[in-house]
Amino acid sequence: MASVHESLYFNPMMTNGVVHANIFGIKDWVTPYKIAVLVLLHEMSTTKPMALLDRRRLNKLILPLQQGPDLTLEQFLKIVEECCLRMVNAVKLRLLLMADGELQDMEHFFTILPNAFSDSEAFKTSVVGLFMRQMLLAYNKLSFSQVYKLYKSLQQYCHHGNQPELSALPAEDMELTSNEDPSADHIDKDELDTASLHQSELRSEGITRGPLSQKQAEYFLARQAYLLKNDENKAMSPAKLQDELNNILKFNPDFAEAHYLSYLNSIRVQDIYISTHSLLHYFDRLILSGGEGKSNGDEGYGRSLRYAVLNLATLHCRFGHYQQADLALQEAIRIAQEANDHVCLQHCLSWLYTLEQLKGSDSVVLTEDSVKIAAHFCLPYLASLGIQSLVKQGAKQGMPANKLLDALRGTDIMHWKQSLSELIEISLAQTTSIWRMYGKSTMARQQAQLLLNMNSLEPVNFSVQQNNTEAFAVALCHLAELHAEQGLYAVVSDILKHLKQQFPPHTQHAKLWMLCDLKIQFEKAMNDGKYHLAEPHVTAISALNSTEGLYRKAQLLKALNRTSEASKILQQLQQQCEKSKNIEMTIRVMLASAELHWDSSGFATALPLLLKALSLSRQHNLQSLTSETLLHLAFTQLMLGIPEQALVLVQDVLESVLAHGSLIDKGRALLLAARCQMALAGAAAQEHRLTALEQAVHTLDEAAVYFSQLDCKERMRDIHYLQARLHHTLGNIAQRNKCSMLFRLLDQELPSSGMTVVSHL
Amino acid sequence: KATCNQMNLCELLQYRTLTFRSKASELAVSLDALPLNEIPAAPELTEEDARDLDALCLAKSHFELKEYDRAAYFLRGCRSQKAYFLYMYSRYLSGEKKKDDETVDSLGPLEKGQVRNEALRELRVELSKKHSAGELDGFALYLYGVVLRKLDLLKEAVEIFVAATHALPLHWGSWLELCNLITNIEMLKSLSLPECWVRDFFMAHMFTELQMIKEALQKYQSLMEAGFAKSTYIISQIAVAYHNIRDIDQALYLFNELREQDPFRIENMDTFSNLLYVRSMKPELSYLAHNLVEIDKYRVETCCVIGNYYSLRSQHEKAALYFQRALKLNPRCLGAWTLMGHEYMEMKNTSAAIQAYRHAIEVNKRDYRAWYGLGQTYEILKMPFYSLYYYRKAHHLRPNDSRMLVALGECYEKLSQQVEAKKCYWRAYSVGDVERMALLKLAKLHEQLNESDDAAQCYIIYIQDIFSCGEQLEHAEVSTALRYLGQYYFKNKLYDEASLCAQRCCDYNDAREEGKALLRQISAVREQGEPSSTDLSLACVFNPLINTTTPVRRASPLDLSSVTP
Repeated sequence: MASVHESLYFNPMMTNGVVHANIFGIKDWVTPYKIAVLVLLHEMSTTKPMALLDRRRLNKLILPLQQGPDLTLEQFLKIVEECCLRMVNAVKLRLLLMADGELQDMEHFFTILPNAFSDSEAFKTSVVGLFMRQMLLAYNKLSFSQVYKLYKSLQQYCHHGNQPELSALPAEDMELTSNEDPSADHIDKDELDTASLHQSELRSEGITRGPLSQKQAEYFLARQAYLLKNDENKAMSPAKLQDELNNILKFNPDFAEAHYLSYLNSIRVQDIYISTHSLLHYFDRLILSGGEGKSNGDEGYGRSLRYAVLNLATLHCRFGHYQQADLALQEAIRIAQEANDHVCLQHCLSWLYTLEQLKGSDSVVLTEDSVKIAAHFCLPYLASLGIQSLVKQGAKQGMPANKLLDALRGTDIMHWKQSLSELIEISLAQTTSIWRMYGKSTMARQQAQLLLNMNSLEPVNFSVQQNNTEAFAVALCHLAELHAEQGLYAVVSDILKHLKQQFPPHTQHAKLWMLCDLKIQFEKAMNDGKYHLAEPHVTAISALNSTEGLYRKAQLLKALNRTSEASKILQQLQQQCEKSKNIEMTIRVMLASAELHWDSSGFATALPLLLKALSLSRQHNLQSLTSETLLHLAFTQLMLGIPEQALVLVQDVLESVLAHGSLIDKGRALLLAARCQMALAGAAAQEHRLTALEQAVHTLDEAAVYFSQLDCKERMRDIHYLQARLHHTLGNIAQRNKCSMLFRLLDQELPSSGMTVVSHL
Repeated sequence: KATCNQMNLCELLQYRTLTFRSKASELAVSLDALPLNEIPAAPELTEEDARDLDALCLAKSHFELKEYDRAAYFLRGCRSQKAYFLYMYSRYLSGEKKKDDETVDSLGPLEKGQVRNEALRELRVELSKKHSAGELDGFALYLYGVVLRKLDLLKEAVEIFVAATHALPLHWGSWLELCNLITNIEMLKSLSLPECWVRDFFMAHMFTELQMIKEALQKYQSLMEAGFAKSTYIISQIAVAYHNIRDIDQALYLFNELREQDPFRIENMDTFSNLLYVRSMKPELSYLAHNLVEIDKYRVETCCVIGNYYSLRSQHEKAALYFQRALKLNPRCLGAWTLMGHEYMEMKNTSAAIQAYRHAIEVNKRDYRAWYGLGQTYEILKMPFYSLYYYRKAHHLRPNDSRMLVALGECYEKLSQQVEAKKCYWRAYSVGDVERMALLKLAKLHEQLNESDDAAQCYIIYIQDIFSCGEQLEHAEVSTALRYLGQYYFKNKLYDEASLCAQRCCDYNDAREEGKALLRQISAVREQGEPSSTDLSLACVFNPLINTTTPVRRASPLDLSSVTP
C-alpha cells in the first residue's frame, strides 16, 4: 500500500511542489542579454505606428523575456522574429551598431533610454518601468572598468550571434550546452598533439565551456529537481547531473541548492556516502543564509537546523538504517520541542509512526495522535496522510470495510478542496489495494483505471506530468496481477514493460514491480507444472520479501511432494505471521497446511484448520480467501463422503468466484462442482443418474474452457480423464475415445505425478 | 654528501632568479662554508644566452617590479631557455594578476567565481606544442604543470610535475606543487621520483601532510645527520610535526631555538603561537605578537598570531577581526578560517562559525580541526546525532587522536548508546589520551551501568595515570575516583584498602567529609569483630603506584579489553 513519506516534501525550498531555487534574492545585474531586452523595449516605445496584433504579441513576450534565463542573441532574435518581423531588424541593427561602434554608443543608449519612456505608457511602477529603472541603476553603479567589461561582453555577445554554426542551440537544450563539456574537454585532450586545435579551441570556449549564469543555474536546478520529483526518466542521468552540479559548484561554491540537488541525485543511485555529505553541506550553507530569513518571522536559522536533522532522519530511513533514523528523529523532536515549533513536531510525529510501522511495531495510537494534532494545527496534508496510514492499518486488522472507505472518502473531499493531488493519487491507490484485498477484482480494476486516467492537478511544468509516484506503481502492479489472474499475459508484459521504463531498477519503487513480476512468473510456472522454472523465482522473491518467499517455497515443495519439508516451513511461517499479524498470509498458510493434510489423507484433521481460516477470513472481509476456504471445505467434505453438503457449499460460493475469482479459481470451482455432481449421481436412481451425469459433463466442459485459457495442462488431463469416464458410463463411445485420446496425449507429455485426481482441489 | 649538495645548491642559485630561491639559500647557509677552490665555476653561457643577456636583464628588472606584461614584451623574440621561461612565466603571472584585479570589480556575484586567467589556455597550447617536441627544460615543465593544474587537468599536471622533478630535481617548486596534488600514500608510492637528496625533503614534507608524523620525523632526523643540522627549515618542519602530534614541549623547545637562530623569521610563527595558546603562555605570546608586528604587520602569520593573542585574552571580536584580516591577505589561508570558526564559537555566533569551518573545509578537505569544529558547533546546538557525522569525519582523518574519540564517545553517551560510548572511551585511552579524560568518563559510564568492577578498574588506572604523569592537571577528578574506590572496597569488605582510600580522600576539600564518614564506618565494622581479609599485603594505590596487586580484585586490568572494539 501506498505511503508517500518522501523526503522531497520536507524540502524547505519547495512549496506546493514547486522548487524555488532563488531564495536568496540575488540582485539583477546588467548583462548583454538585458541590454538586448532594453533595446527591444526602447524600440517598442519609439516606433509608434505598429500593428495592433504585433504589439499585443510583443507585450505578451516582455514578461517571459524579463524573467527568463539569459538567451543567446540568436535565440532572442528568433523569438522576437516570431512576433514581429519588422521589430527584429530594428533591434538587430541597433545592437550591432552599438557593438561595432564604440563604448560611447552604449553610453549614449543608456542616456537616451529614460527619455523614450518618459512620455509613453510605461509607468514608473509598472513591470517594464521597474525593470528599466533597475537596469539603469545597476548600470550607473558600475565602475569604469566594469563598464568597459560590459561593453566587451556585449561585443562578444553580438559577435557570437553572427556565427550561426556556433550558437544554434534552442532554449530547451540549455543543459545540453553544458553537457558537452566533459566530452569537449576529452576531445581537447585527445587532440593535444595536433597543432591545429589552437584556433577552434579558443573560439568555441566561450560558448560550450562557459559556466552558467546565475539565472541559468537556477533554472537548470529548478528544472532538474522538478524532473527528479515527477518523472525521473526525463531528468539527466545521475552521472551527468553530478558532473553538471560539480561544475556549478566549482564556479559558485555558495550555491547551496546545488548541494541539495546533489543529495537528491545521489539518493537516486543509493549512494549513502555522497548523499549524507551533500545533505549536511546543504544545510550548513542554508544555515548561513537563514539569518536573512529572520525577517519573515520564521526564525530561519533554528528552523533549518530542525529540518536538517529531520531530513537526516529521512535519509537514514530511506536507506533502512532504522536505529540511526530513530536517533536523528528523537533529536529533531527534542529541538523542535525546545523551539515550540509545532509544525516541525508534526512532521516529526508523522515520521515517527512511519518509522514504527517500518520497524514492524504497532503505531495506531501514535498515528491517531498525529491526526488529531495535525487537524488542530490546520495541516491538512499531514492529517490526511495520517488518516491514510490509519486506514492501511485498519484494513490489516479487520476494521469494518464501510468505516475505512468512509474515512477515505472524507479525506478525499478535503484533498479535492485543497488540491492535494499527491494525496488523491495515494487515496485512489489505497482504495485499489483495499478492494483487491477484499477480493473484489472489478472494483480494484476500476479504481486503478481511475487513477491512471486522472489528470493531475499539479501545474504541468516542463511538459512533464507527475506520474512516477508510488501510487502509480502500486496501481500498475495491481493491474498487472489482476490481468495475470485472467490469463492475459500479453497485457501483463506490456504493463510490466511500462513499469520497467517508468521506474528503472535502481529507483526507489522498483521493488514493487519486481516482486509483482516474480509472483506472476512463479504462478505461471506453477500452473504449467514447470516446477524447475519456479525454483529460481522463489530465491528471487525471498530476496525482496522474505515472508512471501517462504510461502512460495512451501508451495513449491508441496508440489514436488516433499511434504515434510513443506510442513516445517509452513509451521515456521505460521509463527511469523501470527507475530506480525499478517492475516492474509496466515489464512493462506492454513489453507496450504490443510492441503498437506489431504496428501496424507488426513481429511478430518484438515477440517478444524479450515474452519479457523474461514472464521478469520470472514472476520476480515476477505472475500476471495473466504470462497477459497469454502472450496477447500467442500472438497474435504466430498472426500469425507458427504457430497450433498459439498455441492451445496460449492454452489453457494460459485457465484462470487465466477464474478471476482481468477481463471484458475473459476476452473477449480467448476471442477469441484462436477465431481460433487458425479459423486451424487453415483447414489441416485437410474434416470436421475443419467441427467446428473450429463450435467457433470457440462460443468466439466465449462471448467475445461477456463483451464485451456490458462493452458493448465495438468488440470486438463484430469478433466479429460473424468470426461472419458463419464462418457463411458453414459455410453458415448466416440466421445469417450476422443477424451481418452486427449488424456493419453497429455499424460505422455507431462511427467507422471504421484498425485491422483482425487487428492487435490 | 653535504659538500656535493652544497655544490648543487650553488649551481642552482646562480642558475635562475626565481621563487623558492630563498629556500635554497637558506639551506646553503646552513651548511659549512666551502673553501674557495671548491666553489664551482659559474655555468657556461651558451651563445643564445649571451645574445639574450641584455634583454633578459631588462626583463628581469621589469619582472621584479611586477610589470609582467612589460617583461614579456621585451622577451618575445628571445630564443634561449632562460628567456623563454621568463617570457612564459611573466605571461602567466600577468594573467593571474589581472584575474585577481578582476575579482574585485566583476559584473555580478556569480561572475566572481567565473573570473579566469585568460592567458592559461594560450599558454597551455603553446607549452603543449613545445612539450611534445621535447623542448621544455625543468623550469618550463614546472610552469606547464602549474598551468595544467590551474585548468583542473590534475592527472596531466601530476605527470608533468614528475617530469619536471626529473629534469631539475633541485627546483623545490615542482616538488611543492606535486605535494599539493598527492592525496594518499598509495598515490605517492606509485610515482617514480628521481633519486636525489631533495627527494628526502619532499618525502618528509609529504609524510607531514599525510599525518604520518613518525615517518616524517625519521626522515628529518636522517637529513639532519647528513649535514643539514643547522637548517632552520628542517627545525621548523620538525617543530610543526611535533605540533601535529601534540608533543607540545618538544615543539615549543624547537620553536624557541628557531627564534634564536632566526629572530626575524615570520614563517611558521602562527604554529608557534598556537602552541603558546594551548599552554596559555600569555607573556610569551604577547612578546611574540609585538615582535612580529615590528617585523611586518601585514603578513598572514602576524595576523594569526595577533588573533591568537586576543583570543587568549578573551577579546574574541578583535581576534575574529584579525583572522579576517589574515584572510583578506590570503583567502586560501586554511588555519585562519578554522581559527576564526573557533572565535565565532566563543562568541556563540554558531552560524558564522559554521560558515568559517565550511570555508576551511572547502580550502582543504583534510582539515580535521574544521570537521571537529563543526561537530562541536552542532553539539553546542544540542544536536549530538548530527555532530556524530562531523566527528566521524575528523576521526577518519586522525584515527589516533584521542580528542575526536572522546568527543564521539560523549555524543554516543548523550544518545544513550553506551556500548559505542564505552568503545570510544577505551579506544581513546588506548591511543594515548591527551586530556586524560577518557578513563574518567569510562569509569563514570560503568558506574552508571552498575558495572562496579569495571568502574573500579578504570578508576584505578585513572589514578595511576594521573599520578604517574607528574604534572598538575587543572582539577583532575582524583577525589571522585578515590571516593568511589573507597566505597567499592568497603562493599567488598576489603577494609584496609577502603580505609586507605578514605584517608586519601581527606586530602581533597570536596571529598573530606565523605572520607571521614567512611573511616568511621570502617572502624565501626571492625569493632564488631568482623574478620577482615588480613592476608592481604596492604595494597596501596598510591605509594608504589604501580604496585596495586590486590589479589582479590574482581576484574584484572586485562578484562577491560572486552569492551574494546
